[in-house]
Amino acid sequence: MKVQKPEIGVYICHCGMNIYPKVDVVKVAEHAKTLTHVSVADEYKFMCSNPGQELIIEDIRQKGLNRVVVASCSPRMHEPTFRKAVEMAGLNRFYFQMANIREQSSWVTLDPDLATQKAIELVSAAVKRVTFHAPLYTRDVPVRKSVLVAGGGIAGMQSALTAAEAGFKVHLVERETYIGGHMAKFDKTFPTLDCAACISTPKTVAVGQHPDITLHSYSEITAISGFVGNYKAVIKKKPRFIQEDKCTGCGLCAEKCPVSVSDPFNENLSRRKAVFRSFPQAVPLSFCIEKKDTAPCRTSCPAGTNVQGYVQMVKAGNYQKALNIIMERLPLPGVLGRVCPHPCESNCRRSSADSAVSIRALKRFAADNADFCNVPLPDVKERDAKIAVIGSGPSGLTVAYYLRLKGFKITIFESMEKPGGMLRTGIPDYRLPPAVLDREIEHILSTGIELRTGMALGIDFTLKNLGEEEFKAVFLGIGANVPIKMHIENEEAEGVVDAVVFLRRENLEKQHAAKKRVVVIGGGNVAIDAARVAARSGADEVSVVYRRSREEMPADREEIEGALEEGIEFINLAGPKKILVKNGYVTGIECIKNELGPVDDSGRRRPMPVEGSEYAIECDMIIPAIGQGVETDPLMKDNHFELTRWGTLSVDSMTCQTSEPGIFAAGDAVTGPATVVEAIAEGHRAVTAIERYVNGKMALFETEAEQQEKENSKNDCPPIPDDIQPVRRAEPVTADPLIRKNSFDEVDLGLDEASAVEDAGKCLNCSVCCECMECRDVCEVNAVDHEMEKETTEVDVGAVILATGFKTFQAEKLFQYGYGIYPEVYTSLEFERLNNATGPTSGEIVMKNGRKPESVAIVHCVGSRDSRNNKYCSRVCCMYSMKFAHLVKEKTGAEVWEYYIDMRSPGKLYEEFYTRVMEEGVHLVRGRVAEITDLTDRREDDGKLTVVAENTLTGKNMRTPVDMVILSVGLESAEGSEDIGRMTGVSRDKDGWFNELHAKLAPVSTPISGIFLAGCCQGPKDIPDTVAQASGAAGEAISLLSRGSVSTKAEISFIDPELCAGCRTCIEVCAYSAIDFDGSKNISVVNETLCQGCGSCSSACPASAAGVKHFTDLQLMNELEGFL
Amino acid sequence: MTQFSPKIIVFVCNWCTYTAADLAGTSRLPYPPEIRMIRLMCTGMIDTKYILKAFLDGADGVFIGGCHPGDCHYIDGNLKAEKRITGLREMIKHFGFDEQRLQLEWIGASEGPEFQKHMIDFVQKIKDLGQGQTRDLMIL
Repeated sequence: MKVQKPEIGVYICHCGMNIYPKVDVVKVAEHAKTLTHVSVADEYKFMCSNPGQELIIEDIRQKGLNRVVVASCSPRMHEPTFRKAVEMAGLNRFYFQMANIREQSSWVTLDPDLATQKAIELVSAAVKRVTFHAPLYTRDVPVRKSVLVAGGGIAGMQSALTAAEAGFKVHLVERETYIGGHMAKFDKTFPTLDCAACISTPKTVAVGQHPDITLHSYSEITAISGFVGNYKAVIKKKPRFIQEDKCTGCGLCAEKCPVSVSDPFNENLSRRKAVFRSFPQAVPLSFCIEKKDTAPCRTSCPAGTNVQGYVQMVKAGNYQKALNIIMERLPLPGVLGRVCPHPCESNCRRSSADSAVSIRALKRFAADNADFCNVPLPDVKERDAKIAVIGSGPSGLTVAYYLRLKGFKITIFESMEKPGGMLRTGIPDYRLPPAVLDREIEHILSTGIELRTGMALGIDFTLKNLGEEEFKAVFLGIGANVPIKMHIENEEAEGVVDAVVFLRRENLEKQHAAKKRVVVIGGGNVAIDAARVAARSGADEVSVVYRRSREEMPADREEIEGALEEGIEFINLAGPKKILVKNGYVTGIECIKNELGPVDDSGRRRPMPVEGSEYAIECDMIIPAIGQGVETDPLMKDNHFELTRWGTLSVDSMTCQTSEPGIFAAGDAVTGPATVVEAIAEGHRAVTAIERYVNGKMALFETEAEQQEKENSKNDCPPIPDDIQPVRRAEPVTADPLIRKNSFDEVDLGLDEASAVEDAGKCLNCSVCCECMECRDVCEVNAVDHEMEKETTEVDVGAVILATGFKTFQAEKLFQYGYGIYPEVYTSLEFERLNNATGPTSGEIVMKNGRKPESVAIVHCVGSRDSRNNKYCSRVCCMYSMKFAHLVKEKTGAEVWEYYIDMRSPGKLYEEFYTRVMEEGVHLVRGRVAEITDLTDRREDDGKLTVVAENTLTGKNMRTPVDMVILSVGLESAEGSEDIGRMTGVSRDKDGWFNELHAKLAPVSTPISGIFLAGCCQGPKDIPDTVAQASGAAGEAISLLSRGSVSTKAEISFIDPELCAGCRTCIEVCAYSAIDFDGSKNISVVNETLCQGCGSCSSACPASAAGVKHFTDLQLMNELEGFL
Repeated sequence: MTQFSPKIIVFVCNWCTYTAADLAGTSRLPYPPEIRMIRLMCTGMIDTKYILKAFLDGADGVFIGGCHPGDCHYIDGNLKAEKRITGLREMIKHFGFDEQRLQLEWIGASEGPEFQKHMIDFVQKIKDLGQGQTRDLMIL
């Protein structure tokens, strides 16, 4: 190959007065002439002008130049211009190098001599570099004739419509449920006072109906990859829970929805339902259900009851629906409404404001005020499989009921005469009246469950018998009924009766067998039950002896308080040592005093006996209530069950299956003595497992466990409002202690209807949607789908237009203006809603008290032109403030004060509008407001706000009393624009606005080819400018894509096959997977379509085989040498 | 006595720091004339041999300016550069070389004033350190 001798032409630009005279261009040119291979060096006033370019072209043609250096401005400005000139003269466009002597020398160097010297060095380096330039060629690749528009405000809509009208496919992505952006919230627009809705709804409708626009509402872009002409975007659509194509927008769902939350569309000035449409003209017209993370009441319920759902139904007065919701998870609502230890209430977020919702009492209220006959049962498809349930306590009843609802044939085996297990034998009647239990069990059995009472396992039947009867699976809900001994002296004496036995006798037989002086040992609910029953069964004195302090007693607070009211004595920090006996009868108990030591495993302080502190308590009856074990002997006859070290049944924690296949267990038999709700919760687990066992689908548990590990709780419940008016917690009426202690009648009389409804109204709706399903039931077109999941779509587009808009300045930051403290201080967006026909007041400008304001202050530049916040001018506030002044005057006739710094009204008809409003009698005060306070100077102004400011035109301080203040908040870059910037590679300026390619000449382009900007995402602007820019961005996109192809980059990587050692280091570092391995030659090969030319491979290659074209080692090393 | 005028090579990426330098220029933010800038597409492109070459040929300081982490036009080229420079600084110490003469900073496209400040500070630092003696110290 013949190597051409370099003939370099160097051209120094004066750039008018920008480079010359700071840089002595003649001297630079003279020096350039001395450099190797330079055959021409010249200077000219404007190299970028036509004559300047002609100069280069002529020299190439006439003087045989084959390389060119231009020393002028930044290559980011004019490199394309000169490359084109070089190309026109017949050279390859890459035989060109620019020396940036303007931005890097004349503009930043103070001393002219030094600036000239620097320019000389920059030129020398460029000359050295260009000597080694090589011709490069680009290829044309096809582009996709489609555009992605990010943001559905007025800018995004305008861009989308412009591109779609030109025949391009458009994907418009909007994160809200509606399109229209901020403009949809406005009422009037300056300066013409056009109705915002009247001019924007035609756009929204056109977007919604355009065949070439695919609208992705309630969606977010999560990734953008690719390159100009060939971008790929991932769009995540959040579930609306209402099918857009079915919803007719009738609004019946919202009418029925019981949940009320504050409405962000109305700037939280009003409330809306959990199912909502932001405004009547919204596009798409479909409603949407807002669901947040699961409410803590529901997650803390062991059985996962939809607490929020039934609380809302009580609030709405629909007690039957409340009961139905409870029955979805709890087969015994009345029981749990009385005895549940209500972990839901401990987790209720309302308690941080005043007190927790009385959830348990509301559950009971629903159960007592609705009819079990009306609880809807699913259409049961009968199945042949028979399931045996042994034990009819809470876990057994749960398993029986919910398996029955799935169509299984259920037989319950109960050893006692009546079903209910511990609910009947253990819980006293004054807490749980038998009628309540009977009613609920009756309902459970009415679904077609066979009950065999008097059937004791191991006596009347065995597990083997069940196999013979062809039961497919067996559930053991046998509870924990065996008293645990105290292991102290004389425990067998006459007069020692275990609590379980004592309670069973009193509950079932009403023996009234308590002696006169009773001591109960223990601190749990069973101990308190035994004590209160003893008091009702003939005891004169009852004491509860517990080894720790009263605060540490595991019993429910209500129970301990109830016992105290009934005169029961509590002896705390006392440990039983031995039972005192005379003639075989109990005469007392010897106790030892305890003190609290260090914290033990249970998190409570360990009781430590104080030596020598023994003392005796006289009594004739001792009721130990220190726990129960499981009676497993009857089970072990035919089978060998694995047991835990506490002697309970050992089961798989997920499936509840025991060591014997097909035999499941839950409740106290597994956990030891625990609560009813825990037994029910485990029962549900067993229901799922038994169904899967019968269907041969146990493997599902494993896949679910894996999935669950991946899912993390979002914890995105809405914030607790700070303006909650405290409401006293509804406390149920209780029977008089003096009367009740002689009777087994129920103590807790429940809530009355008014208190129940009021208490339910306290619920904060932490999940927003309460899943009561009222919307689903009322929807005539079956559009509601609570199971909807988010959808991910990928779209391929040629260009991307960013129209992500703005957010308003947070007025709380300027505490001196009292926003968030004084109710009559509004932000401009709030005022827009207040003034809007679809807003919270239907367009009436009224104060919170409903009266029209008589005086209004409008404060400009809130958060703008402020060195502590945003230094920039937000451009729109002066004009919208004048619009507000006009509207306030027109609608209320109030006096209006405008506090401005400078009035900025450039724009067509803007100054005229300003003059017009001024002539309407608005008071204009030039001065920044210092403070807004509720301290007034005159008594007659009490209740008003005082605006403190200096009128800088008169030099006078002013204190103006007004009824209402509007803060004209500035504009800031939108939430999430940082993410979009990172995805697309478009940088943002220090204020967060996207950087355009050139502030004047390329205001809608970005440095990233194929990505354009529209509207406020680039900086604050008004609607006319936004629309103009949006049309411009669409125009640029169309111009880029219309030809159908774009040139690929020439400056991409190459790998010298002679040097490549096949180590694949380059493949590892490439962020674009643009390097393949050619196994046949054992070398890496660059995929030219994917390569972006970043050079990671080049610097990482240990063999120096990889390089970037136009940034080769040779070129860069020579540039360096030129400098040094 | 003429003051020591160091030779300083600045490698910058096209997308962030070069743009910041342009912005410093258009905003007329002056900085010392000793700065000699070489534009690359990405700092991830910087081969350690360019830096060694600069020092060997007499540069008194080398400054590298790239995009802030997360802002790299090429996903993470800047972080690759950071790793490489950290390793290089560690290595050249053993050749008796003052690693303070090699500095890496993130300067975003809109950070013209920051660019100016870094240039002023770096030149001052090198002036304080005095003339580099790399050529004498490094025997490769």
